Amino acid sequence: MTASHLLSVVTFLPLAGGLAVLLLDEVLGLLSLSRLSEGVWRWMTLALTALTFALSLGLWTGFDATRIGFQFVERAPWLPDYGVSYFVGIDGVSLLLLVMTTFLMPLVILSSWKDIQRGVRTYLFFMLALETGMLGAFVSLNLFQFYVFWEVMLIPMYFIIGIWGGPRRIYAAVKFFLYTMSGSLLMLVALLVVYYLHFQQFGALNLDLVQGPGSAAPALFDTVIPVAGQAVWWKTQTWLFVAFALAFAVKVPLFPFHTWLPDAHVEAPTAGSVVLASVLLKMGTYGFIRLALPLFPFAAVEFAPVIFALSLMGILYAALVAMVQADMKKLVAYSSVAHLGFVMMGMFAFNIEGVEGSVLQMVNHGFSTGALFLLVGMIYERRHTRLIKDFGGIAKPMPVYAALFGVVAMSSIGLPMLNGFVGEFLILLGTYHVAPWVAVAGSFGVVLAAAYMLWMLRRVMFGPVDNPENRGLIDLGLREKFVMVAVLLPIFWVGIYPDFFLRRLDASVTEVLRRVETANARTTAPGGHEAADPNVTAAGHLALPVALELGPAR
Amino acid sequence: MIPAPAIHAAALVPLALPALGSLAVLLAEAYLSKRASEARLSSMSAGIAIFFLSLSFIVAAQHFVTGAQIVFDPASPMIRIDPFSSFAICLIGGASILACLLSIAYLMELHINHAEYYALILLATSGMMLMVAAVDLITVFLGLELMSIPIYVLAGFERRDLRSNESALKYLLIGSFASAILLYGMALIYGVTGQTDFAGIRAGLDATNPLALVGLGLITIGFAFKVSAVPFHQWTPDVYEGAPTVVTAYMSVTVKTTAFLALMRFVVEALGPAASTANLSGLFWGLAAITMIVGNLMGVIQVNVKRMLAYSSIAHAGYLLIGFATATPEAYTAVLFYLVVYVFMTLGAFSVMVALAHRGKDCDRFEEFAGLARSRPGLAALMTLFMIALAGIPPTGGFYAKFALFGAAVKAGNVGLTILAVLTSLVSVYYYLRLPVVMYMREAGTEAPRADTSLGELVVLATCAVAIVFLGLLPNSPELSAIRVFDWARTSVAMLF
Repeated sequence: MTASHLLSVVTFLPLAGGLAVLLLDEVLGLLSLSRLSEGVWRWMTLALTALTFALSLGLWTGFDATRIGFQFVERAPWLPDYGVSYFVGIDGVSLLLLVMTTFLMPLVILSSWKDIQRGVRTYLFFMLALETGMLGAFVSLNLFQFYVFWEVMLIPMYFIIGIWGGPRRIYAAVKFFLYTMSGSLLMLVALLVVYYLHFQQFGALNLDLVQGPGSAAPALFDTVIPVAGQAVWWKTQTWLFVAFALAFAVKVPLFPFHTWLPDAHVEAPTAGSVVLASVLLKMGTYGFIRLALPLFPFAAVEFAPVIFALSLMGILYAALVAMVQADMKKLVAYSSVAHLGFVMMGMFAFNIEGVEGSVLQMVNHGFSTGALFLLVGMIYERRHTRLIKDFGGIAKPMPVYAALFGVVAMSSIGLPMLNGFVGEFLILLGTYHVAPWVAVAGSFGVVLAAAYMLWMLRRVMFGPVDNPENRGLIDLGLREKFVMVAVLLPIFWVGIYPDFFLRRLDASVTEVLRRVETANARTTAPGGHEAADPNVTAAGHLALPVALELGPAR
Repeated sequence: MIPAPAIHAAALVPLALPALGSLAVLLAEAYLSKRASEARLSSMSAGIAIFFLSLSFIVAAQHFVTGAQIVFDPASPMIRIDPFSSFAICLIGGASILACLLSIAYLMELHINHAEYYALILLATSGMMLMVAAVDLITVFLGLELMSIPIYVLAGFERRDLRSNESALKYLLIGSFASAILLYGMALIYGVTGQTDFAGIRAGLDATNPLALVGLGLITIGFAFKVSAVPFHQWTPDVYEGAPTVVTAYMSVTVKTTAFLALMRFVVEALGPAASTANLSGLFWGLAAITMIVGNLMGVIQVNVKRMLAYSSIAHAGYLLIGFATATPEAYTAVLFYLVVYVFMTLGAFSVMVALAHRGKDCDRFEEFAGLARSRPGLAALMTLFMIALAGIPPTGGFYAKFALFGAAVKAGNVGLTILAVLTSLVSVYYYLRLPVVMYMREAGTEAPRADTSLGELVVLATCAVAIVFLGLLPNSPELSAIRVFDWARTSVAMLF
């Protein structure tokens, strides 16, 4: 296995491994030998996900933080007549998200060791398929391929929620599927329009986002998408951006497209919730930064005020709703909406602090909220209830659990020295540069987060042990402790030494911002929309409604 | 001395083979009915049917590969074998072979194991092949009737069941009505041009003549009946629900394919530029829009799986009509590819239902699928695959077919229709997902489902599943496979222009 194919191996190893184990199981069944036991399946799945993580560390160490552009690129023709190729590669943003996913998957498998008891083989297979789907979406550099992985992810998640979920699981699963698909289908139409515009401008069909090895055709990002008033309505940046943004906004979730989230999170099994919160939600934000911003930069800047307003509403409204929740899992679900409001706010500030903070916060949220869901799941396994009123004084019988919960809650609030602080600080700093009042309003979100988290903590962990059922609770076992310590590692690491992670983001984020700025300079320059010299880099201040700044290079 | 006409009988071979096969089946049945048991006779007839259909398939495939163009009688061209008809004949032949394989165990299960079934299928197939190879209005009509009448009988094959009888009668009445309308349209076109062959019509048609417009409208309506476009779709749910499931599978796949292909040939070859003068695209636009809306919305409220699949096929007809509304070569290519995928998807979904037919009756209500994931995990997984393909979710062929079709529509500027298609697709996802929900997420009922699957059913299920996945991943990859359906579709369509 040469280094040049490492990315494909990392992406497809989970599914390929899952299929291999499934095939082995079936063959054993056909030969009338005893099939693989559930225990064997669990260990093999754990080994596969751990191996994928180990290989992804190879990607991490091999990644050159100083190079602009995509690395570990692989390209093979798939449907050359239609511009569809198998094209994968990572830059700083996808690297961070990819390693976060591969890191969390073994922990997720470990957490569901006792939780899932029926249909274990099917469950594990779906988990592996889901991992490949998610990794595939993060590394795809061909728009068709991205769309395929984007949709493929839905199917295992739908089954995981629908089969192993809570009492209202079917409602939640169908709602999740239909809501997400509605956005994606509109994105499909926009995708086809962009496809056609590219064909109009360059005479060849090409869905590669950037130019890859073995292709000389201009890539999709080079398409000049007309701004409003210069073309037929459906071919303009505004509508295309809206179509893409709707698809991603549902996934983020951006207020008011968030209503599927509380149902899906609460009804999903613990492992499903963790994957949903940590990875699937990041798909939306990743989609923005990978696709919507580079393809439609002018419209993105145009829509920044709208996005600010919606993120702010998400932050404040979701935090207030979280405060009145009776179910712990639903509280954490709403806190997700609030956190991702921060992410979107930072991203649309269009400066390096904001966007880097946004990407870092994506990863932070993955760890913090993932950890929160794991913890809620642990207490649910013991007491089969998640209502806050059924608890109280849990710190007495389960001190280790309470301590871990406290640390993770602090991380979610954004306490310095933990990961949440770095992300939120960068985001607020970036937003303050462009829209000070939005940042001030957003910082209230931090206060509210502290309010609902600490209040929940007090009601659940501290005080007297009122409910007799809580007296005999057993503290965390070795497996659970291992999972939680593993998740705490990046929580502290990012909090204490974030540059280790931010360093790899610099080149990619700068590139995205450069693209946005050059496009906006071109469009608002006198003379309007003419093809400008692509080597022009925008530095310093530009005459834009929202002032863009590039911070000093780190 | 009468000079011998310069006919090329080779043009008839792929069409005549199924007809000969039906004669063989009838003769075998007549001679051997006293000596062999019904089951034996039926299996033998199935074998004969598959043999003749395979021969026809091979001959047509051979013609396609060599790019042969054979006109039956150059002096008055009525039948032409060119890549388009060869492709169509292969598709129809293949679908019929799969339908025959599927029927063997099913007919036995439902105690309607008569050999005439295969004779009727062969006759209907022969009519279909004639219809797609036709380049003359009369021949199209001949093919249409030869296709329809055996299928009317087949719909009522379960003669002890009231619903089957109702289905046959309804189909007969409405189908005859549709044929009459089609014929009248053809007569009007003949009145305007004085010709019935496509080349002559193309040359002589004055599309501004109101008589011609009425004729074209009536012909379109006649075809719309056959493809179940709204509002000519009223027969579809009842007929699909009442007919035996294998007949429904056969009908829904082959009749629709044939009608669409014949319509495509007519619109492109016979009308050519007159189609845009007559604004046929506008007519198709309207038909497509309401068909998609009604088909998908009605599918949501169904409690019977066969009826749900009937509305699903109406919805797919709506998507296909988008290709006709767009009327560019890419759109028609996408329509052809979509039809290939549609054949496998629908046939696969019906095959799962056929495989579950138990104790002399169909398994066609949603409740009967409950808990299937526990008792028959393979069948449940296959049904899920087919539902996902019908919904148009990657990585199945159903997604790529929609992608290609919508891409062609967007390229021609038909974005409004595409957005409508996409929104109605979303509605369809709901009712397609209902089956996996019931199979995987509900507990099983009291009755145990059928435990065994016959070989024929297994072959059909495997073929459809492999085809769906293959067409989704590698629809047209020159380096990776020799099966390039999209290229073949493009070659076929190029013939028409």
